[in-house]
Amino acid sequence: MSTSLEMKKIQKFYGALHVVRDFDLYIEPGEFLTFLGPSGSGKTTALKLIAGFETPSGGDMLLGSRSIVDVPPYERGIGMVFQNYALFPHMTVVENVAFPLTVRKAARSEVEEKVLRALQLVKMDQYRDRYPNQLSGGQQQRIALARAIVFNPSLLLMDEPLGALDRNLREHMKIEIMRIQKELNITVIFVTHDQDEALVMSDRIAVINEGRLVQVADSKSLYYSPQDRFVASFVGESNLLPCRVNQIENGTGTVTIAGRANGVARLSGQSGGESGWLFVRPEHVDISPRGATSTAQNVLDGVVEDALFLGEMTRYTVRCGNETMTVKQQNRGQPHFAGKTPVTVSWDADRCTVLH
Amino acid sequence: MKDVGKDNNHMNTLLAKERAADPIIGNVARGQNFLNGLLANRRIRGAVVASPLLVLLVGFLIIPLSNIVWGSVEGTKLNFAHYARIFSDEINFNIMLHTLKIGLIVTVLSLGAAYPVAYLLTKMGSRAFSIVSVFILVPLFTAFLIRTYAWMIILGREGPINNALIWLGLVSEPLPLLNTTFAVIVGMVHVFIPMAIFTMYSSMARINHDFARAAQILGAKPVQAFVRVYLPMSLPGVFSAGILIFIVAIGFYITPALLGGPRDAMISQQIVTQMTTLLNFELSYASSVVLLLVTIATLFLASLFIPLEMIWSSATIEPSNRKISERSRLLSGAKRAFHPILSLFEAFAHVVTKRVLTQQSRWLWTYTTVILVFLTAPLIVVVLLSFSSSPFVVFPPPGFSLQWWERLANATDWHTSFLFSIQLGLVAALFATLIGTMGAFWLVRTTLPIKRPLFLFSLSPLMVPVVIIATSLYIFEARIGLLGSFAGLVIGHVLLSVPYVIVVMAAALRGFDRSLESAAAVHGARPLQVLRLVTLPILKPALWTGGLLAFLTSFDELLISIFLLGRQTSPLPVKFWGDIRFQLNPLLSTASTLIVALVTVSILTAQWIRLRHEQRTAISASK
Repeated sequence: MSTSLEMKKIQKFYGALHVVRDFDLYIEPGEFLTFLGPSGSGKTTALKLIAGFETPSGGDMLLGSRSIVDVPPYERGIGMVFQNYALFPHMTVVENVAFPLTVRKAARSEVEEKVLRALQLVKMDQYRDRYPNQLSGGQQQRIALARAIVFNPSLLLMDEPLGALDRNLREHMKIEIMRIQKELNITVIFVTHDQDEALVMSDRIAVINEGRLVQVADSKSLYYSPQDRFVASFVGESNLLPCRVNQIENGTGTVTIAGRANGVARLSGQSGGESGWLFVRPEHVDISPRGATSTAQNVLDGVVEDALFLGEMTRYTVRCGNETMTVKQQNRGQPHFAGKTPVTVSWDADRCTVLH
Repeated sequence: MKDVGKDNNHMNTLLAKERAADPIIGNVARGQNFLNGLLANRRIRGAVVASPLLVLLVGFLIIPLSNIVWGSVEGTKLNFAHYARIFSDEINFNIMLHTLKIGLIVTVLSLGAAYPVAYLLTKMGSRAFSIVSVFILVPLFTAFLIRTYAWMIILGREGPINNALIWLGLVSEPLPLLNTTFAVIVGMVHVFIPMAIFTMYSSMARINHDFARAAQILGAKPVQAFVRVYLPMSLPGVFSAGILIFIVAIGFYITPALLGGPRDAMISQQIVTQMTTLLNFELSYASSVVLLLVTIATLFLASLFIPLEMIWSSATIEPSNRKISERSRLLSGAKRAFHPILSLFEAFAHVVTKRVLTQQSRWLWTYTTVILVFLTAPLIVVVLLSFSSSPFVVFPPPGFSLQWWERLANATDWHTSFLFSIQLGLVAALFATLIGTMGAFWLVRTTLPIKRPLFLFSLSPLMVPVVIIATSLYIFEARIGLLGSFAGLVIGHVLLSVPYVIVVMAAALRGFDRSLESAAAVHGARPLQVLRLVTLPILKPALWTGGLLAFLTSFDELLISIFLLGRQTSPLPVKFWGDIRFQLNPLLSTASTLIVALVTVSILTAQWIRLRHEQRTAISASK
């Protein structure tokens, strides 16, 4: 049972502090949407507004077609996985998972059946009678998830649920959560500051910065076409070089990069003479010995400052005048450039964008 | 079952996305919904939760105290003659001075005796800790009266000390140990050592021993590491324990009255005598106000150095990174001046203690054992005496018999007293737990900016000397016609025990993970359900602890009962008090033994509950 959630101009003030600004967002039934942002960006507050722990200072919120702004949390019918899991320490696994049903006074047979199904779904049915402190972090996480979905909530909220897990477990739980979401076809709002989690799991990602929705898009467009410098630098690694737009020809323009080289780049609404930031991903930049000919439209000369061998690739830091560029090159047997080697870096026009 | 169906229906409609206005919500237990709705409003909730505590404190502490203050100057006459009498009359003035002197001596001795024990407690393994702490808790919770009675036996003409001295041939006549200042001091130190140990321990437990280890690896000798690193960090705890003991000691009544001689009268005895036998009310009011002012002045002085709430509940304040004030600059100046002496002392102490210190704190254990023996021996004397074959209080008893137990089994006056005490204790504990818990919720969760002063205010019954609370309530309840009624008595007991509940519950609530309540709410639990299913069950151990403390406080309470009792059955302490002064016989030992046994059992039970709870809910804290 999945439901849409619509946020209309949602605001939240703490005193004079504007922590959530103009949230306008429609989340489709069955969608997996992630709030991605640095700590203090307001993403957790936004989640609290949806859960009903905080009341918005303005705007409206619709769960399905019903406004929930004035509905207390316990009548919203939302499931939630907390950052620290918030499992009730005095209840067994079964009692924890049954909680949403028992407080709604469901019939015992129904409770048993649903709890069993939820526990099977998270593969924890053999731990029924343990107490939370007798479980590992990953197991607690699964129980928290089972508790959040056992009553077929219309919406599932997850507040940095993977933060406390170690790396391997985190990878594993990502896949598990995605499997369960697909199996139940449930609408999920997932909060994280970890871009890897966001990119892997989400249908769409809402990047939040300083209380504002900066960009809402699927993983690929977010990664390849970030809307501004913040998104570009927050999601994945990127090079941002100061540049000035010279001439415009159907969506692309000729630019002066860092005041020293000419190039061609896609534009995002700039007009001639405007300055901005040229954005290019490190893996889209080629590195070759100084003087080698290149077909790419953007070419800069530089000197290798640092070369880190990472196994499948090498990560170069190249100094080009006042700017440094990061270059990631797959290791396929090409020559390796040691520090202080003069090199040329280059990239295609359609791999780079001028951002505001 | 019909309700269940309705609720299921309710749930389903909630989950159904399309139905906007839900007609069933209003049908489910309308009354409860109304209550839930009320509780959802933070202000209303705050008012509901806070009012019992505020009514109790204002109505039965602040107003009676104001009456006393008002009465001491004869109301609008503003006659300060009674104060003048206290300070001009040599006898009255000497009583003041004597009180302060005894208070100071007792404080210093208790702190000195208790510090090493508290220090060792922080280093113990958990099993050793639970064993040792029982030996301290049992004396702590055994009524002052019983412990004082034990000292009356020990120091008596035919007590173990005099008998031993005579047997050794050191003296030919029993020494007059009882009714001396010495007896008062020994008795009071015995009373205050457990208090000192626990107050200091609770703040010392937070000092990481790695600091001292770090100092040693950096080249400090063990003595230096202790004197320069550990000791300064533990001083706030020592200081707060000292303040606590001092303010209780100067208002102390039982021990000086029973162990002291005529020249050892302290101010609280004077207040009682003035009020009950000399009927000189104004003078007793004035004495009360003076005692109150001394207490307030002490607390004010203390508040310059430590956060006051630390004295009663160490769990509240984390030492923050304070700004360097004038005062601490002065202190560091003094430190620099003393530095050569300190170094000399350290070098000397290092040479002296070098050999002992290496033996895995064995000397600390030895010392602690001595203190534990000192704490428990009087109780053991009482227990042994209960099996005495002699009709008199002689120790060691000449033979074994159960005659006193038989006497107790047939003493109906003791039975009714015992039952009345239990009844009174249960009722008082129930109300104290209820009012205190609600108050603690309010104090911890209120967003009012005056949170700290409010918390201190809620602890005020612990600050005001009991004798003043007793006398002021006596006057006040007489005026409003409550005196001598069960309700009047209960109010006095609740007033005294409520702060303990607040301290315990506030600590528990501060440690309470509120996301558990959010989790319950978002998964469908209404405010009352959250309280019943999540919050209260998790706080259960604290509730039991608070309730137990309240019960024991009421069970041990003497002064308030004496004043507020009227013609009701005497509770145990009052009965005890009457008998102790008129017929000192082994029957009291038998009754005491029974009480000690009860206290021991309840402490062991509490420890067991705590351990079990900790095992189960070591919570996710372990991760």
